[in-house]
Amino acid sequence: MPESLVISKGAEETTRELLRSLLESGKVSAVLALGRTGSGGEGVAYSLFTDPTAFEEGGAACPLFPFMPANAGGLLSRLTLQGPPSEPVAAVVKPCELRALIELVKLNQCSLDNILLISSTCSGVYPLDAGVDGALEEKLPGYWEAVKQGEVDEDVRPTCRACVNFVPENADITIALLGEADLDTQCTLHVNTEKGAAFVEGLEGASSSGELESEPVQRAVGQREAFREELFAGVEVGMQGLIRTFGRCIGCHACKTVCPICYCRLCYFDSQDAERSPEFYEGELQRKGGLRVPPNTVFFQLGRMAHMSVSCVGCGMCTDVCPADIPLSTLFSKVAASAQALFEYQPGREVTEEIPLRTFEQEELVQVAT
Amino acid sequence: MSEKSAARSSGATLKAEGGVAAALVGWLKEALEKKVFDALLIPVEVPAGDSFAYLLLQDPAILDKASPLPPVMPVQGGKAISRLTMRGNGSKRVAAVVRPCEARAAIELSKLKQAHLDDVCLITLDCPGVLPLSDYIGDPAAGAARFAEAAAEGDRSPMRPTCQMCNHFSLLGSDLHVGTLGADGTILIVPGSSKGERVLEGMGMPVDAALDDWSARVEEAEQAQTERRRQAHADLRETVAGAENLLDVFSSCINCHNCQRVCPVCYCRQCYFESAALKLPPENYLARAGRKGALRFSPDTLLFHIGRASHMALSCVSCGACEDACPMDIPVGQVFSLMADRAQEALGYVAGRSLEDALPLVDYEMDELHQVEQPYVEIYCKQEVQDA
Amino acid sequence: MSEEREFEPRIIYFLCSWCGSGGSETAAAHHLQYPENVVPSRVNCTGALPAVHIVRPLIEGADGVVISGCHPGDCHYNDGNFRARRRVALVKSLLDTLGLEPERVWFRYVAHGEGQRFVDTATEFNDHIKKLGPNPLTTRSDT
Repeated sequence: MPESLVISKGAEETTRELLRSLLESGKVSAVLALGRTGSGGEGVAYSLFTDPTAFEEGGAACPLFPFMPANAGGLLSRLTLQGPPSEPVAAVVKPCELRALIELVKLNQCSLDNILLISSTCSGVYPLDAGVDGALEEKLPGYWEAVKQGEVDEDVRPTCRACVNFVPENADITIALLGEADLDTQCTLHVNTEKGAAFVEGLEGASSSGELESEPVQRAVGQREAFREELFAGVEVGMQGLIRTFGRCIGCHACKTVCPICYCRLCYFDSQDAERSPEFYEGELQRKGGLRVPPNTVFFQLGRMAHMSVSCVGCGMCTDVCPADIPLSTLFSKVAASAQALFEYQPGREVTEEIPLRTFEQEELVQVAT
Repeated sequence: MSEKSAARSSGATLKAEGGVAAALVGWLKEALEKKVFDALLIPVEVPAGDSFAYLLLQDPAILDKASPLPPVMPVQGGKAISRLTMRGNGSKRVAAVVRPCEARAAIELSKLKQAHLDDVCLITLDCPGVLPLSDYIGDPAAGAARFAEAAAEGDRSPMRPTCQMCNHFSLLGSDLHVGTLGADGTILIVPGSSKGERVLEGMGMPVDAALDDWSARVEEAEQAQTERRRQAHADLRETVAGAENLLDVFSSCINCHNCQRVCPVCYCRQCYFESAALKLPPENYLARAGRKGALRFSPDTLLFHIGRASHMALSCVSCGACEDACPMDIPVGQVFSLMADRAQEALGYVAGRSLEDALPLVDYEMDELHQVEQPYVEIYCKQEVQDA
Repeated sequence: MSEEREFEPRIIYFLCSWCGSGGSETAAAHHLQYPENVVPSRVNCTGALPAVHIVRPLIEGADGVVISGCHPGDCHYNDGNFRARRRVALVKSLLDTLGLEPERVWFRYVAHGEGQRFVDTATEFNDHIKKLGPNPLTTRSDT
C-alpha cells in the first residue's frame, strides 16, 4: 500500500542513494536526471545515466539541482515517442515537467509505461543565464535555506515564484522538500502509487503517514498566488500592448522549440503555408504603406497561444531562451490561466482528463454562440 | 580586397553635413519619390523604441524612423531578403539597405535558391559593427550613444565578437556601396553593378568622384582587421581544439537551436537535426547510454554543431547572429567563424563574394584536393612493420 | 604484466556499392583477410555519403572512419567520387579546426578488382588507429 518513508539521511543524499540503488539492483536500466557536463563540471544538462557510480558522492549526477536546461517532459517524449522502453527507466522531474509530460501523453507524444516518475515539492529553478560559467554554485546555500523555510528565492524564474501547482501528487514517488526544516538530516519520500511502492521495496526507512500538503506548503500556495496576481497585472494587453511587447521579437521561434507542449515536427508557422508570396507583400504595401519583414511576428505569438495555451504548464523555458528578453512565460501563463479557467481545465492534473479542444459537451459555453 | 577597390574607380558624392544617417535617409526618400525604386527594405525603429525591425515600405513618411546603420542587428538582413523574395520578385523593384555581411548572406541565399535578387538593389554601407542585442535592449538610449561614439572612433570593442574581427566590412560586391569611412561632410556612393549605375543615373548623380582616399583608408583598416582576425582565430583555436576543450565550450548548450534558427544561411524548413532521422526508438538511446555510462539528453549536441557546420560553414558570412541569440553565452559565432574561414579556404571559396562563384559542394574539379586522398604506395602486408 | 586488453579499434569502413564493395568481394574470392574489428558499411556511392555520417560514428564510439569508392573517372554515377572528395575535404577541415584528429578519417579509392588494396587499407588503417589510440570522444557521455 502506498505510504511515506522517512529516511535518516539528507534529501540530497537520499535521492542519490535511491537512484544509485535502483540502478545497481537492476530495478531500472537507466535514470534521466540532471548531471554535470564539461571536464570541470561547469555545465548542467539532463543525462540518461546507466552507471550507478554517477550517483555516488562526487559523481556527475545532481538530480535536485535548481536548474532546467530543458523541460524534462519534452525529453521523456523524445525518449518514448516511438514506444516505451523495454526495461524500466526512472526520471527525476520537477512538477511542471511532470504536468507537461502528462499533457504529452494525452497528445500521443509520450508513453508512461515502464517510466518511474520521481518528483519533489518545488521551490523553482534559476533562469538559464544564472547558470553560465558555474555562477550558480554561489546561489545554492541561499536556495536551500529558502526551501527549508517554505519560501522561494527571489532570483528564480518569475513563473516559478508565481507557480501554484508545485505539489506533484501524480508522481510515483514525491520527495518532500518545500518547508522541510530538517532537510539536511532527514528526508520523506511520499510513495503515491503501487508502481512507486514496488520500486522502493527494500529501502530502509520508517513508515509514516504524513501529508504532502503540509502547512508550509499551504502557506506557500497563498504567497505564490499573491505574486501571481501581481505578475499578471503587469502584462501589457491590447493590440498596441502586444505590438510594443513583441516589437523586439526577432521571429526566431526559439520559444516554440523549447516549449514541451509544442510538439509539431514542422510548425505551421515554419511551413509553406506561412510563407508569403510577392503578391501578398505588394498588397500589404498598398494597404498600409509598409510591412515588417519577416512578417507574422504577432501572428505567430497569438497562433502559438491558440495552439497550446490550454496545455501550458508555466515552466518558463520560453522566457529564458528568448534572445530579446521578452517576458513570454508571464504573458503566456496569464493567457493560459484564462483559457484553462474557461474550460475548468488544469493541464497535467490527471491523465484521463481529456484536453478541452479534443472533446465537447452538447450543453456548454452558451455564452459563445450569438 | 584591393582587387575590388581597383575594379571601381569612381563614385558619386552626397553631402552629409547633418550626419550620414540623415543624409542617406533624405537621399532614399528622394529616390522613392522619383520612383528610382518602388519600395525600400530598411531597418526602422519599433514602436517601443527598444529595437529595430526590417520594414518593406513605399511610404516615405515611415522613413523618419528609419536607420540605415542601426546599433543592433536583431534579424539578419539576408534572412529578411530571403523571406521577401523566396517566392519570386513580383512587380516591385526593391532597394535593400543592409550591412555587408547581410548582403553577402543574401548572395549566398540566392545561390542556394532561397532568394531572388533580380529586382533587388543591394545597398551596403561601411560597417563599424553592431552591439550584441542583450547589451542594447535593457537601455536602448545608452546603447545607441555607446554605439555612435564607438563607430565615430573606429572602436570595435563594444561590438559583437565576430564584428570585432571582421575584415569584410566594406563590400563592393553589392549594387551600391556607401563609403563613409573617414567621410568629412561628403560621402561616396559607389556603383558595383549596372543596376547600381542606373540608380545613380535616375538620381541625376554623376559618377565622377575619385575613390583613392577612401579606398586607401578602407584598405588600411582591412589589413589591420585581417591581422586582428588571424590572431583572434589563433587564440580561439587554443581554447576550442581537442575533445576536452570543445566539450567544455559546449558544456552548457541546451540544444535550443537558436543559433540555427537565426542563421541567415540555415534555410531548411525542417532542420535535419530536428527531423525523424534523429528521433529514434528508446532502445537506441538506452544502448548508447549503456555503452558510455550515460547519454546527455536530448542527445547529439556535438553532432548538431559539427553537423550544422558541415551543412553551412561554406556559406557562413561570420555575421554573429548565432552568438547573439545563444541563451547560454556560448561563443558559437566565433567558433563557426573559425571553422568557416578554414573550410572556405580549404575549398578555395569566399562566401558572398560574388553571385558568379559556384557553391563549392555543387562544383568540383577533376584535379584538386589530392591532399585529402590517402596515398597507397606499397602492398602493405609485404611492408616491414616498423616499431613505433 | 599489464591488465589492460590491447586496444581494439572500432572502425567503420564505408564502401560504395560498385567499386568499393566490389573490391571487398574480390578480396573474398581470393581468401584475403582483414581485421574483424573493421566493420564495412555499404553506401550506394561515396558521393551519397553525407558529411554528418562521417562525423556521427566518431562521436558515438568509432575510433576511425575509412571511405572507399571508385577511382576518379570510374564512378558509376560519373562524378559522385569528386563530390565525395570535396565533402571529405570539408569534414577534415572541420575536424582539424576543432582539434579532433582528422587523421581518423581516410579517403582512398579502391577499384572493383583491387582486393589486395582493400584488405591492405583495412589493415593499414587498423594499425594506424592503434598507434593513435582510442578516440577521446568515445568515452564522453556529454557529447
